[in-house]
Amino acid sequence: MNMNKTKLLDLFFGILLVTAGIGLLLGLYTGLIRMGLSMPGAFELDAMAHGPLMINGFLATLISLERGAALEKLWSYIAPFSFFLATLLLMTGYAYSGGFFLLLGSLFLVIIMGYLCYLQSVVHHYIMAAGAVTLLIGNVLFIINEPVFELIGWWIAFPLLTIFGERLEMNRIMRPPKKAQHLFAGLIAAWIISLAIIHFHRDLAWLINSLLLIGVAAWLIRFDVARRTIKSREWTRYSAWCLLTGYGWLIIGGILGMIHGLPAAGYIYDALLHIFFVGFVFSMIFAHASIIIPSLTGKLVPWSRYFYLPFFLLHGFLLIRVVGDLLYVTDIRIWGSYGNVAAILLFLGGILFQLTFKRSTPAFSQT
Amino acid sequence: MNKEFVIRREAARKFWGVIDPELGVNIVDLGLIYRMYMRDDDTFVVEYTTTTPGCPMRRYLQRKIEEALQSIEEIEEFETKLVFEPEWSVDMIVDGVEFFSVPPPMMSGK
Repeated sequence: MNMNKTKLLDLFFGILLVTAGIGLLLGLYTGLIRMGLSMPGAFELDAMAHGPLMINGFLATLISLERGAALEKLWSYIAPFSFFLATLLLMTGYAYSGGFFLLLGSLFLVIIMGYLCYLQSVVHHYIMAAGAVTLLIGNVLFIINEPVFELIGWWIAFPLLTIFGERLEMNRIMRPPKKAQHLFAGLIAAWIISLAIIHFHRDLAWLINSLLLIGVAAWLIRFDVARRTIKSREWTRYSAWCLLTGYGWLIIGGILGMIHGLPAAGYIYDALLHIFFVGFVFSMIFAHASIIIPSLTGKLVPWSRYFYLPFFLLHGFLLIRVVGDLLYVTDIRIWGSYGNVAAILLFLGGILFQLTFKRSTPAFSQT
Repeated sequence: MNKEFVIRREAARKFWGVIDPELGVNIVDLGLIYRMYMRDDDTFVVEYTTTTPGCPMRRYLQRKIEEALQSIEEIEEFETKLVFEPEWSVDMIVDGVEFFSVPPPMMSGK
């Protein structure tokens, strides 16, 4: 590739990576405001922006950047750039133009994933592409001002399907039997259909949805390489712990969903959402950090046992938060949410520290 | 020994030290290096693939492959080509390879 083009793409990439980080920090900050954190007027942001920021400002920007960069084409950066612009515009009150870029970003993510399916027509690409489509559906509903509780299923599906596809792709090395692969695809297809039915029969559809999700989680526990690599060491072992814990949260979320359904608001609603987004999605981010970071920065993250600290804080405080939600005790859930934010920041801080001050083991860098 | 042979051998040794962090295996044993040859204009060409067209490790691996080639004195010009034909599959992985065995074995073979 032309070196100038490579440098240009690297520059784009760096800028967009920073914007994803900004999206995350804003998302966490608005989450704290939502939990009652009081700040001077200048720092006051709309607490209701927490969900959209975490989904679009952070996850969609990061995932589209990761996927787009793999294609190494200028047009593939339109998606993350649009998500960044949308975040900026929506946060500054430009709802119409912000909505336009949100739609554009979602559409280009679908195009990126569609292009990957065209390049390689395989099940894991279709699952990830379905994730992009669910984001598009969720964002269209968001733009036309549907209440968030009506569209949240689509937003939940976006990171979940992306991760399910990635895990299926990764677990090719485990050579799961064809029947098992078909079962996985079938469970996910049924899960997506149940998301659509939620709009018509909310309780029944969520019950089926939860049951199917437990099935997906059980499949992953059975066939994911994590069960083997948990006996490994360093990042590999750490990743396995994060994966299996994340699958555990999916099962807990499924059980809670079967018992309580998906309320339109309130503490149970809050518990369910954070089980999926913190217990599963952030656990997956922790699990894949040693892969995501090199793919994004070109640098391996030197291992440190320190990373178990944010791991335990993330899951420990989520447990506290969920207990607080189930018992309707506001103080407990507030402390849980503060702990979750601390865990994520400590993890990011650890990554930055390791990248800045530590060097990879020589064996990693023999080139 | 002709120059191409020496470069190919050296490049293979270097690539053996390039690890795909996703699987913890070097890119040679993973079967990601498809072809290495010297073109008529004395440019050393490496054709490689990734485990999937949407592989997030693409940029990382390309950088590592280029670094490996830059470190070989005998190479004056090189070109890396990412190809997807034939499509990579797990059957291309060397038999008996140990996944996630990072850090990799030492290049000296000890």
